[in-house]
Amino acid sequence: MMMSGARWTALGLLLAAVATFWQAQSLPRWSFDGPGTGIFPLVLSGIAIALSVLVLITERRTPDAPAGTDDSTDDSEAVARYDKAGPVERRVFHIYLLALALLVAGSWWAGFIVTALVVTIVIMRFAEGVGWRSTLITAVTVALVGQLGFGWLLQVSLPEGPADRALRDLLRAGGLL
Amino acid sequence: MENLIGGFITVFQPATLAYCFIGVFLGTVVGILPGLGPLTTIALLLPITYKMDVTSALIMLSGIYYGVAYGGTVTSVLMRIPGEASSVVTCLDGYEMARKGRAGAALGIAAFGSFFAGTVGVLAISYLSPPLSRWVLAFGPAEYSMVMLAGIALVTYFTNGSKLKALLMAAFGLLLGTVGSDPQTGSARLTFGVFHLIGGIDLVPLAIGLFGISEVLSMALTKPEKMKVLPPPSTLLGFLPNREEARRSVAPVVRGTVMGFLVGLIPGGGAVLATFISYATERKLSKHPEEFGKGAVEGLAGPEAANNAGTAGAFVPLLCMGVPANAITALLLGAFMIHGVAPGPTIMERQPEIFWGIVASMYVGNIMLLVLNLPLIGLFVRVLDVPRAWLASIILMVCLVGVYSTNSAPMDVLLAVMFGVTGYVLRRFGYDLGIVILAYVLGGIFERSVRRALAISDGDLAIFVSTPLSMAFAAITVVLVIIAFIPRRKAVSAAMKPAVSEAGP
Repeated sequence: MMMSGARWTALGLLLAAVATFWQAQSLPRWSFDGPGTGIFPLVLSGIAIALSVLVLITERRTPDAPAGTDDSTDDSEAVARYDKAGPVERRVFHIYLLALALLVAGSWWAGFIVTALVVTIVIMRFAEGVGWRSTLITAVTVALVGQLGFGWLLQVSLPEGPADRALRDLLRAGGLL
Repeated sequence: MENLIGGFITVFQPATLAYCFIGVFLGTVVGILPGLGPLTTIALLLPITYKMDVTSALIMLSGIYYGVAYGGTVTSVLMRIPGEASSVVTCLDGYEMARKGRAGAALGIAAFGSFFAGTVGVLAISYLSPPLSRWVLAFGPAEYSMVMLAGIALVTYFTNGSKLKALLMAAFGLLLGTVGSDPQTGSARLTFGVFHLIGGIDLVPLAIGLFGISEVLSMALTKPEKMKVLPPPSTLLGFLPNREEARRSVAPVVRGTVMGFLVGLIPGGGAVLATFISYATERKLSKHPEEFGKGAVEGLAGPEAANNAGTAGAFVPLLCMGVPANAITALLLGAFMIHGVAPGPTIMERQPEIFWGIVASMYVGNIMLLVLNLPLIGLFVRVLDVPRAWLASIILMVCLVGVYSTNSAPMDVLLAVMFGVTGYVLRRFGYDLGIVILAYVLGGIFERSVRRALAISDGDLAIFVSTPLSMAFAAITVVLVIIAFIPRRKAVSAAMKPAVSEAGP
């Protein structure tokens, strides 16, 4: 039998709740001065398991059940649906997912400037089809405004890579830092 | 009164005034942009406030919240697109008034009604908060636990979708709050062997992921379309309603203000519910109910006032009890805690400059919003012309800055992206993510209260029903949870959907 996305989601939540319950079981439930570290997570994950099972049971069975037969909230209508999107939108969605992966990888290894450049180019040029000129101007602006505005003026901590260090050295050489 | 004057002195510091302006301005813009809500914006800006003075930071973030109520009106009236959930009702009659050539009057009534309601709401906060705080001070850990539990139950009850799913999200929100070191013993829990999680899951990656990144993913699946905007008036005089319209709007504004404020006080109530209740009341009281949905002044004036009064009302439980009424105030509570401020009954004694500074900033912010909204509507509407490609890139970069700067840890970026993808899936299948944030923020305080109560009673659960107050809150919780298990007919949404469709395309 094919399972609907709604049920897969409920099953995912159930597995998360079970994993949490399993971890919470190894924690002390009561100590000499009162309730222990584990009592709250244990009770909560138990409740989460019970609720997940109920949601799994009550969730609609087929992926194409008519609208209104399920319990989806208004928010589920506010969010754009992958299954109803056309091939172009799906392609855009996949490239956005790639941009998110690059965002994570970039923050780990490449620093802010390179990440900002790459993510902006991926989104603007490859997902949205904006021309190279506009894309590059925006990417450079986002990277520099981010690094100078947040990193330098507001003193916000940003991922650091070779490009960020080079810009800082440049500013230092110019007497701005 | 002296305290309030002190609050005004704080607000009139040039820097604080500037942050108040930035907050209400951003709130208006966010209210206009469909999709980008106050939750996302507050989550995105939260890390940027780390280096700011605590009062200014909280004034700016609060300004975003109540500024949204104004901004949402503009797109509702001129485009029939609610910028925010609390502006849905405004679409019905506001847009119809605009189609009849009364766009200026509709925006004017909404702005003046909102100003009146916002100001009365703030006055009510000023006078209600001190006695309420004194009352809350008498709460023991058991009462406090039950108040919070009832608050969470109420929020799940008022969710539009499945109550069961809302309860499940509340459980997961509370669980997420327990990850990391136990605040009492310091021992690690639910870390799954991940070293970074010993410090717990921070509010910023969670909120930015669930709201910011999931919204970007949702945007990616939407077909970009040029929006049709009805023209706003070109002169200030064009915003003035005629005598008949002004006469018809007075009573609904007053009723909407009172109802909105009272509904705003209830956890889960907030501005959205207030607008629907006000609309239904005005329709019932009207001598011409057939005009509703076709441009009735009462159908615009009442809900607009209720929207702003509801927003103000939601600040009362937050500031006086430390219990947020909805997800946005939960995020504000998180912001307070990040800045080392504990809202609750003692805030007025310990940090009066913060409490009264925020209250005073609401008076000032309401005036700013009135001055901003009418002359600058043409400019605000142009915000909608920003293409998705630019908006998405900028949002993602702000997400990166916000999340990374929390702990200077790339792991937080990974967590935010994971929460973002999970958040998108959960939203798609009808899970209310606002409840996750609310439960997460309350989790720590709730657990401390529960454990303290159990320590006092030596594990006897009867302590939670030992006083009439805790018994009353326990009863509310039980009733609401039982309701969640009763199979639901789509009563609320079904009642609203025909009303929305009445407005026509």
